[in-house]
Amino acid sequence: MELIIETKNLKKRYGKFEAVGNLSLEVPVGSIYGFVGPNGAGKTTTMRMLTTLTRPTDGQAWVAGHSVTQEPRAVRRAIGYMPDEFGVYDDMRVWEYLDFFAACYDIPESTRRGLIDDLLELVDLNHRREDMVDKLSRGMKQRLSLARTLAHDPQILILDEPASGLDPRARVEIRELLVELAKMGKTIFFSSHILADVSEICTHIGIIEAGQMVAQGSMDEMRHQLMPHREIVVTVRDQETADRVKSLVGDADGVVSASIIEPKSGRSRVRIDFIGDDDGVAALNQNLHAAGIAVMGFTEETKDLEAMFMRVTKGMVT
Amino acid sequence: MAQETLPTQGVNTIIEAIDPREARLGRAAAVFRWGALANGVVVALILLIALLSGLGVIPGLFTAMHQLLLGRTAGADDAAVAGTVLLIQLNITALMVLMVGVLAREIWGMLGAWLLALVNLVGLFALGFTPALLTVITAVWAGVVVGRDVRAFRLNPVMLKELRGRMRGARAFVVLTVYLGLMSGLTALLYLVYTPASRATGSAAAGEVGRVLFMGIVGIELMLIIFIAPAFTAGAITGERERQTYDLLQTTLLSSSSFVIGKLESALSYVLLLLLAAIPLQSIAFLFGGVTELEIILSFVILTVTGVALGTIGIYFSAAASRTLAASVRTYTSTLVATFALPLVLTIVLDILTGGIRTLSPVVEAVLTYIDDILVSLNPIATALNTQSLLINQQEVGFWAHTLASDGSTIPRVSPWISFTIIYLVVGAILVVLAIRRMHQVEE
Repeated sequence: MELIIETKNLKKRYGKFEAVGNLSLEVPVGSIYGFVGPNGAGKTTTMRMLTTLTRPTDGQAWVAGHSVTQEPRAVRRAIGYMPDEFGVYDDMRVWEYLDFFAACYDIPESTRRGLIDDLLELVDLNHRREDMVDKLSRGMKQRLSLARTLAHDPQILILDEPASGLDPRARVEIRELLVELAKMGKTIFFSSHILADVSEICTHIGIIEAGQMVAQGSMDEMRHQLMPHREIVVTVRDQETADRVKSLVGDADGVVSASIIEPKSGRSRVRIDFIGDDDGVAALNQNLHAAGIAVMGFTEETKDLEAMFMRVTKGMVT
Repeated sequence: MAQETLPTQGVNTIIEAIDPREARLGRAAAVFRWGALANGVVVALILLIALLSGLGVIPGLFTAMHQLLLGRTAGADDAAVAGTVLLIQLNITALMVLMVGVLAREIWGMLGAWLLALVNLVGLFALGFTPALLTVITAVWAGVVVGRDVRAFRLNPVMLKELRGRMRGARAFVVLTVYLGLMSGLTALLYLVYTPASRATGSAAAGEVGRVLFMGIVGIELMLIIFIAPAFTAGAITGERERQTYDLLQTTLLSSSSFVIGKLESALSYVLLLLLAAIPLQSIAFLFGGVTELEIILSFVILTVTGVALGTIGIYFSAAASRTLAASVRTYTSTLVATFALPLVLTIVLDILTGGIRTLSPVVEAVLTYIDDILVSLNPIATALNTQSLLINQQEVGFWAHTLASDGSTIPRVSPWISFTIIYLVVGAILVVLAIRRMHQVEE
């Protein structure tokens, strides 16, 4: 696995206060990496160090193979950064905004016009080309911001809370854009405290709390690692059948426990806590059929990110 | 674990050239810097020798120095040495400005190098100004280095952005119209007030009316520039911080030099527009006579230099502060202290200290005269007034011989606009470099 962002024991202290301590981050090439943590966990500080805006107190960080302290400009060329607040220039049109930042990235004037068209097309703002930037809605500003980060075709996008403060529709739009960008081969590293966004699109996730990385890896790995138990819910017609199911699977291989849970829409349900692979799950299902139990539903509940998050974080806020 | 050493980020070289083009620009900037340093050493040497000679340690060196340094000029030997020092100062300033210009990828960085080389060659042959050689070599060398890649130069993005914003819509033209309207109104008022007054005293020479109008207009412009120039620049960098766009710019490849120069260019170009727009008003004085073209030119130089220097003070404090308000307060305070309070207080202190002494020794008198000249040169208004009175009363615009009251010997003095220009430009260039340095600092 090739890493595009890597930090080793990255530390940031403000006086006595340690914002980030011994953070070791590993972001593989081409991933969508969700950087999750409660407010004040050190997400923004970490991002500011990765974008060369803040100097680490100790430790090292490499972005696209360049050290953030030794080769800040090479790092800047490789990244597109979107801070959590949108920097507005009043007195500036949408295309001028992009033109200005493209010029700051030293893109020659002759290619800028075409580039701006492409970028506006991508974020679907072509129709607002001549409008003033501060007249755009928040969602549009966010998309424009995203277009700005793409001006110099960076390998990595570092986005700080890209979906915060957006209405549901705008949030979905941003999410779709991120997926599209990932398809174009960009690595996306973004922070969020909205877990739904993260679980929806991320391939990798890192959970930070009180300046410490508490867990990180690919979504599947994390599920596996944090939630070794699978949860299967069997729905049957009545209480009696439920009792039979419970006694039948109770002794089966890999079953940790089976319990009858609250009926839903008049149907009884049994929850089975199970450790085992997919074959085991299939065998379980077959056993029920073989015993002549009329199974109305046999579903494996995917453990959601929230459960994972609650499990690894302790609610500490620095 | 051991912390790796962080790069020391100076302005003089592009810290980290990410392509051959930036490396080339960095080399040219380094050439300029070394040229400026070498010139500085020469100035120090000349001053040292002049001091030793003047104090009588090694007598009679002034003539030799005159021959060596400014051989093809006539005039007093000491004036020639003083002139050489001032010319080298100008060269140093020009080299510093060109260094920043090249780093900021401004085309004038390269054109300026060739122009500087040319001017110095002319000085070398016409005046026998031998120290010019140093600058010629520096400028040609740097000019050749950057001349190989002319595409490195580009329109400054920050300036373009600022001007687009500033000149958009009706505002810019309203401001200009109001400014010119006010100036015209004041001129008319001055005319109406002055003409009857002079008629009453019977000295209604048309030339005098013209001169009063001219002085009035230049005075008003000077006051305006003193307030406007810092106002344009004091918010230049803090404004980006307040709009939270500063971080965005910091993560782009835009260099600090480009940023500072772009901001300065956009602010000063507007100030220049105001000044140029008022020239026709100044020229009304021609209708009455009594004002020469030379006075118009000199007033324009003084106004421009004031605008540039005060603009750089604003930029410096803007880079150093985090809020526009703080930057503005510091800018105006230091401007007022440096141009008004300090010269005023020092003049009074000097007067009190020397007032009791009936007869001064020639050396003390000479030193006091020079201090006085420098104090005048610190203030643009005093400079303008003294330059004009010197021009009218003694027909002098450059060097002139001042006769000491104590022993009747003469010392060379220079018209205040020259020393003013050099002091203000040197300070301005230094402040620009310091502002760029400030911007380089990474947040701790």
